[in-house]
Amino acid sequence: MADDDRRHGSGSVEPGSTDKRVGMEALRERGLDPEELRERLIDAIGAEFSTYYYYTNLRMHLAGHEDYKEITEDARLEDRAHFELVAPRVYELGGSLPGDIGDFMGRASCPHAELPVPFEGETPDLSQLDAEGILEVLLEAERCAIRTWSEICDMTHGKDPRTYDMASRILQEEVEHEAWFIELLSMERDGEINPAGHFVRGEPGDAPYSTNRRINDSA
Amino acid sequence: MSTYSVVIEVPEDCDAAAAGETVELDVADSEYVLAAARDAGVWLPADCQQGWCTTCAAELLAGEVDQSDARRYFEADAEADLILPCTATPESDLRIRACQYDEMLDHRAAIDEPPGRSKR
Ligand SMILES: [Fe+2]
Ligand SMILES: [Fe+2]
Repeated sequence: MADDDRRHGSGSVEPGSTDKRVGMEALRERGLDPEELRERLIDAIGAEFSTYYYYTNLRMHLAGHEDYKEITEDARLEDRAHFELVAPRVYELGGSLPGDIGDFMGRASCPHAELPVPFEGETPDLSQLDAEGILEVLLEAERCAIRTWSEICDMTHGKDPRTYDMASRILQEEVEHEAWFIELLSMERDGEINPAGHFVRGEPGDAPYSTNRRINDSA
Repeated sequence: MSTYSVVIEVPEDCDAAAAGETVELDVADSEYVLAAARDAGVWLPADCQQGWCTTCAAELLAGEVDQSDARRYFEADAEADLILPCTATPESDLRIRACQYDEMLDHRAAIDEPPGRSKR
């Protein structure tokens, strides 16, 4: 057999083909639909990007609560880290970020963490805004993130170790975020001590589990 | 407090252990249908559980629900008999068909609303 005729691997991807990815076909072989997963990942990082934006606004409106601002800042920057960790994975799975940010936000898998006040046109009515209301929004946003990344963990467990690893790293931080906001809201709203069990990050938005600097320098 | 009987048809092609089955459970009028189903051991698809992402979408075959806790729900959804069980409480006995996410995305795309319009 001439060298040119020799196949260099098995499976459904022709040698030299750049139309298909073994990295996707390996998932399909294991019963995970890579296109479906990829679309779910786009929705999930849409939610991370959305919270990064909306937490910027929420944190600004925690005026006078420097401790809450700092913790919201950690959660905000870590959500950006989550977006950045998974964005390259979308491309590995043959997808791309939506060309239009409006589309991206429309498909985000969690609600936008808007200021909890009535809006008169573009201008929020800040007279009814307080830290308690903001902490409730933050808490529910973290809860949505926990559900989303738990779903991705379920989908990928035992089939796609790469996405599973990313999702489980993110989930670790989302669970911590929920604990922070439970602690803060318990005291702010109910005067109750309900410890998160954590102390502040080493540096703002440290993302100890998920920052892609530690696992993927190229991203 | 009232309790209603909720019949859930789980289609054959649904990614759920109960696929192909029809299950019946009691749901209080203060309870969300999805949470009641999961509590009863019927694991149906869902994601945000805040009435936003539409992953849990179902078709309302009979009965009335209160969907006011959903974060993003349109009148046109109700007109198309599509509900979000994660944030729907029963107002009567119900019969629903679970796992209608694809149908919901098609419907939202048709009325030019998210998330369907960005995903179709
Ligand atoms: Fe996040
Ligand atoms: Fe978070």
